[in-house]
Amino acid sequence: MRTKLDKNILWHLPLILAVFLQLWPIIFMASTSFKDMDQIFTSTLNPLPFPPTLNNYVAVLEDFPFLTYVYNTFFIATLVTVCKIATSVLAAFAFVYYEFKGKETIFNFMLLTFFIPITVLIMPNYLLMSKLGLLNTPWGVILPQIADGMGIFLMRQTIRGIPKPLLEAALLEGAGAFGILTKVVLPLIKPSAIAVTIFFFINSWNEYFWPLLVLQDKENYTLPLALQMFISAEGGSEWGIAMAVAMLTSLLPLLLYLLCQKYILSTFMQSGVKG
Amino acid sequence: MKNIEFKAVKKKYDETTVIQELNFSIKEGERLVLLGPSGCGKTTTLRMIAGLEEISEGQLLMGGTVVNSVAPGKRNIAMVFQNYALFPHLSVWENITFGLKIQKLTEQEMAKRAKEALEILNLTGYENRKPKELSGGQKQRVALCRAIVKQSPYFLLDEPLSNLDAQLRQQARTELVKLHEIYKPTMIYVTHDQVEAMTIAQRIAIMNKGELQQIDTPENIYHRPANTFVASFIGTPPMNLLSAHVRDHWIFIGDACVPLDASWDKVIAGRSRITLGIRPEKCLLAAEKPMVPAEVSYVENLGSQRTLRLTLKNQENVFVSTKDFTQAAASTKGFSFRWEDVSVFDYKTGINIGYPTKEGGKNHEIFN
Repeated sequence: MRTKLDKNILWHLPLILAVFLQLWPIIFMASTSFKDMDQIFTSTLNPLPFPPTLNNYVAVLEDFPFLTYVYNTFFIATLVTVCKIATSVLAAFAFVYYEFKGKETIFNFMLLTFFIPITVLIMPNYLLMSKLGLLNTPWGVILPQIADGMGIFLMRQTIRGIPKPLLEAALLEGAGAFGILTKVVLPLIKPSAIAVTIFFFINSWNEYFWPLLVLQDKENYTLPLALQMFISAEGGSEWGIAMAVAMLTSLLPLLLYLLCQKYILSTFMQSGVKG
Repeated sequence: MKNIEFKAVKKKYDETTVIQELNFSIKEGERLVLLGPSGCGKTTTLRMIAGLEEISEGQLLMGGTVVNSVAPGKRNIAMVFQNYALFPHLSVWENITFGLKIQKLTEQEMAKRAKEALEILNLTGYENRKPKELSGGQKQRVALCRAIVKQSPYFLLDEPLSNLDAQLRQQARTELVKLHEIYKPTMIYVTHDQVEAMTIAQRIAIMNKGELQQIDTPENIYHRPANTFVASFIGTPPMNLLSAHVRDHWIFIGDACVPLDASWDKVIAGRSRITLGIRPEKCLLAAEKPMVPAEVSYVENLGSQRTLRLTLKNQENVFVSTKDFTQAAASTKGFSFRWEDVSVFDYKTGINIGYPTKEGGKNHEIFN
C-alpha cells in the first residue's frame, strides 16, 4: 500500500509542476488586472492584489471601444466557426456516404493541406483578399477560413464510426441524403461536433496573425489585436489595463469550454460514436 | 402482383463475380428462405432486392417492373437487419414511426399502426425506452415492429435471429410465421441455419459460391436434393453419400453387392458409377444379414435419438440415426435401406439423376 502511495506521489510531482507552469501566467494575469500601478511594480511575485481594485476594468469599459472589439471578434469567430463546422460535416459525410471516383485521392490531398505551413499560405491569401477588395473588412478575415482539413478529417473519422446498417435502414425508410444527415448522422455525432465547434471558436477568437494583416483600421480590430495596443508603445506601460482586457478576452472561450467540457473530453477519449 | 423475379442477374466486384447468373422468381405473399454457407452470396442477393447493392448484369423485376435503377427508398421494402440497426438516439416509438414520418402519414394513422404493431409483438409499455435499455430479444422485436408498420408488400430479413439465444430463437420463428400470416407480404429471409430455413420457409433457395443450387419446398429439398451439395448441406447429420459401381442389375457398395431394384433400371441405365444418397434416419440397422455390412465405430447419444457411425470395409463412413436405444442396435452388423428412400447422383457432377416414376421413366420435374 505504502509503495503504491509513494509511486503515486512520484507520478504526481511532475504533473503538479506542469499544472503550476500552465496556471502561473493565468494567475498572474488575473491578479495584475485587479492591482493598481503601484502594486504591479512593487509586488511582482505576490499573486494576491491588496487591496483589489476594479479601476482597470472601469478604464477598459469607459475609455476604450471595448464592446466594439468584442462585437468584431464575436462576429468573425461565429461566422468562421459556423462555416467551418458546416463544411467539415458536409464534406466528411460525402466522404463516407457517397462512392465516387478518386474519393481516396481527394481525401489524401486534403490531408496534405495539414502540412502546408500557414506562412506559405499568407501571401496568396492576402493577394486574393486584396484583389477581391476585402482587405480591412471582417469578410477578408473570414473567407480564407471557411473550410478546414483537420475538421473534415475529424468529422469523417467520427461519421465512419456509425454502423453502416443504420444509414441503410434510414435509406430504406425513404430518407434522402439530407434526411439521413440531419436525422441520423448529426444526432449521433453531436458530442464530437460540439467539441470540434468549440475548438474552432476558441481558435478563431484567439487568432492574431491573419486579422493583423487584413484589418488595418482600429475600429475593425478584434480583441487579440486590441490587446496588442495596450502592450505596445502606443498604450505605454498600462499593464493593469492590458491584463484586464486579457481577462475579458479569455472569459468567453473559458465559459464555453467549461459548459461543453464533457463533450470535449469524451471526444478526446473515444474519438468516435459507438453503434 | 407483388412478385420478385431475377432474370440473369449477376453481381461483380471489379473482376470477381460473386453472384453467377440468377434466374428465379418469388411469388406474391410467399415465404422464401435464402439458405447457404457463409460467403455463398445470399446476403448480396437480398441486398440487391433492397437496392443496397447495384446489379452488375441482368434484370430484377418487382411487381412486374424492372427496378435495377430504382432507389432503395422507392422500392417500398421493409427490411430487418442482422444487428437490428435501431437508431440509438431515438426511443422505441420514434424508431418505429421513423419511416412513417418520412411518408408523411397523419399522426392518427401513425399511432394506429404503431400501437397495433407494438401489441402484436408484446412491446406495449416500452415505447419510451431507448434501444440500449432493451434486451436482445426486445431489440429484435422493435426491428420487426419498424418493418411491419410500413405495411410494405416486400419484407426482407437478413439473419434476424442470429443474435438470439436458442430458446428465444424458437419463439421468434413462430412469431415471424404468425406475422407473415397476418400481413401476407412477399417475404425473403436470409439465413445459414437450416433449422430456421426448414421451419419458416414455404420454399427454400439454396445457394453455394454465388450459384443457386435448388429452389423448392423444404420437403423436396430434404428428400429430393438436386445435387450432392444440397444433400450434404441439409440435415444433421447430412445425407450419406456412398460411391457405388453398377454392373448389370447389381450395385457394389464397399464390398457389398446389392440387387438393384427394378424400378431404378431405367433411371440408372447406362451408368457404371453412381453416388448413392441415403438419409441417416432411412438407414435400417440390421443385426443379421444386412444389405451393406459395416462396423459401428462411434455412437453419439442425442437424448431423443442416437447417431451411429458405421464404417464400411472400404473405410467409407455411414451415419445412421435411430431411436432404438437397445444394446442390439449398438452391436449392429451393418445396415439396409429401401429403394424408395434413395437418391442417386451422377458420380462426376454430383447432380441428381432423377427418380423412378410409375411409368418407369425418369422424373426431373423438381429440378426446374
